[in-house]
Amino acid sequence: MQPCSREMQAMNSLLSPTQQIPLQDLQPNGNSGTHQAQIHNPQFDPTSSHDDFLDQMLSTLPSCSWSDLKSPWDPPKSDETPPSNHDNNVGFHYDEILASKLRQHQINGGGGGTTAAMKMMMQQQMMLPGRPIAAAGGGGLTMPLHNDIVDGSSFKSPNQQGGEGSVQALYNGFGAGSLHGTNNQSPNQPQHFHHPQGGNMQTQSFGATAGTVMNQSQASGSTTGGAPAQPKQRVRARRGQATDPHSIAERLRRERIAERMKALQELVPNANKTDKASMLDEIIDYVKFLQLQVKVLSMSRLGGAAAVAPLVADMPSEGGDCVQTTAGGGGSLQRNSNGNQPSANNDSLTVTEHQVAKLMEEDMGSAMQYLQGKGLCLMPISLATAISTATCHSRNPMINKGSSSNHPLLQSNGDGPSSPSMSVLTVQSATMGNGGLDGSAKDAASVSKP
Amino acid sequence: MMNTPQQVKNPSSSLKSRFITRFLGALTKITAEDPISSSSPTRIFQRYRRIKVASNKSMAYSVRSRRIWSRAMLSRFRSRRSAFSGRRSSVKTTNCTTSPPPALIKVTINEKKTAKGGLDMQTDELRELVPGGEAMDVCNLLDETAHYIKCLTTQVQVMRKIVDFYHLSK
Repeated sequence: MQPCSREMQAMNSLLSPTQQIPLQDLQPNGNSGTHQAQIHNPQFDPTSSHDDFLDQMLSTLPSCSWSDLKSPWDPPKSDETPPSNHDNNVGFHYDEILASKLRQHQINGGGGGTTAAMKMMMQQQMMLPGRPIAAAGGGGLTMPLHNDIVDGSSFKSPNQQGGEGSVQALYNGFGAGSLHGTNNQSPNQPQHFHHPQGGNMQTQSFGATAGTVMNQSQASGSTTGGAPAQPKQRVRARRGQATDPHSIAERLRRERIAERMKALQELVPNANKTDKASMLDEIIDYVKFLQLQVKVLSMSRLGGAAAVAPLVADMPSEGGDCVQTTAGGGGSLQRNSNGNQPSANNDSLTVTEHQVAKLMEEDMGSAMQYLQGKGLCLMPISLATAISTATCHSRNPMINKGSSSNHPLLQSNGDGPSSPSMSVLTVQSATMGNGGLDGSAKDAASVSKP
Repeated sequence: MMNTPQQVKNPSSSLKSRFITRFLGALTKITAEDPISSSSPTRIFQRYRRIKVASNKSMAYSVRSRRIWSRAMLSRFRSRRSAFSGRRSSVKTTNCTTSPPPALIKVTINEKKTAKGGLDMQTDELRELVPGGEAMDVCNLLDETAHYIKCLTTQVQVMRKIVDFYHLSK
């Protein structure tokens, strides 16, 4: 029941007779906090070094037992005798003495105890057997003891040990509840408690909980709220981060997608769009455009000479239209030269084609503008077929035959009066064709009348 | 546009050089079989088709199976070729191009459901454009798209240079 009896005895032996404490009264429970018999504190050296000294000491301690130590005793600073609210354990007189001394030291700055001595004493305390808390709390608890001892020079090391044992007993009972004790203290004392506690906590992590608690208490001025808040703080995720595995996975996925989008942005020109949807649109258009370019180039490679005279229709169509209609080759690119170039000059057309291809690489819009400037445009074969049949001009049906359509269209285009009508028709059918070919409204909107 | 026309994987055999080698070989073969002077429209169109296919194929072969889209493209070519030759290719086609592992399918479906509403349409469109895109989740799809764009750009560059060369030499 009293594991610290040994220490108590030793302590008792050294204490003044008046301070003899019946061992049986010792209770290593939380009541320890309440035990505050009259305490003889013959050796009080009120100094005024205050908190900085204490912080120094405390920073070396591996525990935050401060609060525990402090909590049971809340006599006012000026009071050298601990309040009698802790009368349960008479045997803890010397504990109280020590505690009060500690308090005194805290209040007064603790005099000039050497940290080395403190550490030594701490270690001694730490070595006390059977006290898991000793490591954690003993250090802190012993600190005041050391203070007392060093300053008071009245206690010898055995006393310290004994005191430490008792203090540990006290401390054992404290647990988290000891924190509450701090609230009971006078306003002056909490400051001291919190201050050293804060110093402790910052350097130590007493169970990692007390530290946070202490810090919290410092901030809030109340340690009670710290203990329950600690677990909450632990569990509650930081803003923007979730602890839920699903949301974490979701976040990872989103991040990866954002990464890819950024990479794509560099590849695709006109990638200044911040909107994901528009960015995707841009990417899609670009892919279509590149595929179209491959087709165009493969066409032009057919000798670049008389074999293929590129035909350009009047309808500026997005590359997507042509691609849509291809579906594996159905729609090759056709270019119908308009009245601007009455003679189907293959070379010039080829040059134009290359120009267009070059422009298309940079900017589809500029390519279209270039074509329009020349009175040309791109058009899918099916559309050209529809146009040719619709205009009732006698020409060979253009069914996936790139070059065959050249001549008939050229012939028809050569007609001055017919070209405007055809162009109009082209636009109209293009509008319809667009709707039929590609359901997206934007393509229809892009059709422009020459 | 493309800052690095060559893939830096292996300077001696970059993607570009591999593609050029293959494509020029195919091109010479085609021009040999089909002289340019033949002006039959059908022939010309066929030739155009062949060249286009050769170009895409060369690129796909240069990439080999490192990419999903190249694998899909290659399987498509093979199935098409076998279809032309009369062999039973349906099985091949379905296996290679349209039967992604069930897990992938599920992922795709889930992705579509959970993806932002407006982007589903574009994602689908992208899937159609990029070969083998149906069986990819959005993340992979974007990855493949990036590589596909790179390869397409290389393709276009090379072809344009060849065309210029042709044009100049004529």
